[in-house]
Amino acid sequence: MTRTGLNKILLWSLFGVCVIWLVVPFSMAILWSLVDPAEVWTPDKLLPPVMSFYRWTYLWQFSSLKTAMFNSYLLAPSAAILTLTLALPTAYALGRLKFPGKETAKLLALLPLVVPGFVTAIFFTAILFQLGLNAWRFGAILFAHSILFLPYAIRIMTVSFEQVRQDHIDAARDLGASPMARWYVAYVPALKPGIMATLLIVFIQSIEEFSIAFIVGAPNFTTIPTLLFTNLGQAFIRPNAAVLSLILVVPNIIFMLFLERVMRSANPALSSGKG
Amino acid sequence: MDAVSVRNLTMKFDEFTAVRDVSFDVARGEFVTLLGPSGCGKTTLLNLISGFLQPTSGTIEIEGKNVIGVPPEQRNTAMCFQSYALFPHLTVADNLQFGLKQKKLPHAERKARLSDVASKIGLGPQLAKLPNQLSGGQQQRVALGRALVMRPNVILFDEPLSNLDAKLRESVRLEIRAIQREYKLAAIYVTHDQGEALAMSDRILIMKDGRIQQSGRPDRIYKAPESSFVADFIGGANILDATVIGQVGEKNWRLDTKMGELTAQSDTPPVAKELKICWRAEKAQFGSGDLNTVTADIAHRSFQGNYTDLFFTVDGALQRVQLGEEAGELSASITFHIRPEDIIFLEAIK
Repeated sequence: MTRTGLNKILLWSLFGVCVIWLVVPFSMAILWSLVDPAEVWTPDKLLPPVMSFYRWTYLWQFSSLKTAMFNSYLLAPSAAILTLTLALPTAYALGRLKFPGKETAKLLALLPLVVPGFVTAIFFTAILFQLGLNAWRFGAILFAHSILFLPYAIRIMTVSFEQVRQDHIDAARDLGASPMARWYVAYVPALKPGIMATLLIVFIQSIEEFSIAFIVGAPNFTTIPTLLFTNLGQAFIRPNAAVLSLILVVPNIIFMLFLERVMRSANPALSSGKG
Repeated sequence: MDAVSVRNLTMKFDEFTAVRDVSFDVARGEFVTLLGPSGCGKTTLLNLISGFLQPTSGTIEIEGKNVIGVPPEQRNTAMCFQSYALFPHLTVADNLQFGLKQKKLPHAERKARLSDVASKIGLGPQLAKLPNQLSGGQQQRVALGRALVMRPNVILFDEPLSNLDAKLRESVRLEIRAIQREYKLAAIYVTHDQGEALAMSDRILIMKDGRIQQSGRPDRIYKAPESSFVADFIGGANILDATVIGQVGEKNWRLDTKMGELTAQSDTPPVAKELKICWRAEKAQFGSGDLNTVTADIAHRSFQGNYTDLFFTVDGALQRVQLGEEAGELSASITFHIRPEDIIFLEAIK
């Protein structure tokens, strides 16, 4: 088979995967969110018979969507920043210091990821209640999310700290840089992509996290996922769920594109050999 | 006063001693090279002087001031790193100015120094570029400029040319030497390349196993190596075991070697009856002579352009003779002689 032929096949398979994984679910979600309650969308019809923004306005006006959005969009960035801050010292130690048992420590830091989220959530909430954090639900969920997503942050930031070049630190020192100046000139440029990736991943994980937000928060404290599951679970109103899932997805994409731009402009030289 | 004065410096890492009881001085404006094979302690010594390591014992004075315990950021030394260590996100101008900004020099002074150094290293048009937009040689010059702009007491070079290709290396070493002379800087240059050391230095310190084996002007070291290590490391001399069997007149000694009986002429007597001697491949005189005539079977030949290396074995060890045009006519064997004054006495055989 020729090279171009193979390329063509690969291109079309990529296109096919994109359609199945992205285009179909997205268009289904959009279509379902537009279904008007006047007439149901039955399987024999390709498109919903009556389309309107009724579900959107309904949810906006009559559900706890507004508070859920406020909670989610306050929680996710806070969790991202807090997790990053908590991960930094450990990541620094794992990435830059030498000590016996370092590889084991790296592995241990990842271990919490193998436990299913719901199991962690149930036992974790028990601890939260013991700590008395249940009185302040936002704080409890924030704390829980930070702990839960810490392994990701530690892993990413460890690799980032390993990327910091010792000769850059040495050169800065040799030229008389204070610890602060050294941090800015040698560490920050190398850490930047890792910081962005950590913020993005924790943001997305936190905004989509259901188990803890539900167990700790329900019924008083709603986030978008708990609202989504309420709509799916009790009444199974598919159009409403479609609206909520779109609300859940769109900011993630915007945030991701934004970070992509920031990272691209951040430092084109760092990953390229000398300099 | 010397720019750098090192006394009895020792550096131990756990069990391993990297630098053993090293003492030397570097005068202002002097270019001193630390030369040795990898692991000889030369880079450790440089890191001790720059302050990245603190010695186990001994003292270092820079311009008469003891700097033991002083961190690198407070020492008036500037280092040119092997990897250049340019900050990749800063432009050439910002890289050059980085140290001046740390010193909080006034803006006008900074600008003056920047433009001065930029023209010296010929990077005026590149000031707005990022390091990765420059060639290797240009990056090297930025690293040099970044050190020069600090106007340090001592400039330290850690194998700065090892990442450049051979041709560029030669022109850059001339440039470094010219700039060092112009600024009258004391320079300590670490390398494992004997050619670089011979070409650039006022003085060479040859190191092995953390000790200075021999120090002196490049030509003195080349002409009068004191040990077989130095004779071999600089210029790859032919080394033989010899037994002194008699003295002829005041300065001539008769020696018994595996290459036959040889006569050596030396101002200093041999250090022992059994000792090592050496002779340089290019000192072999084509054809037979009055003394020290050797005929040998050629084992290998290696054409080098303006000369040819011919190898023959003496007691299992390869010996090298360097000949010009006449080498082309030889096929199986070679006859040459060595003048007595070209045979050098080295250390005793233990």
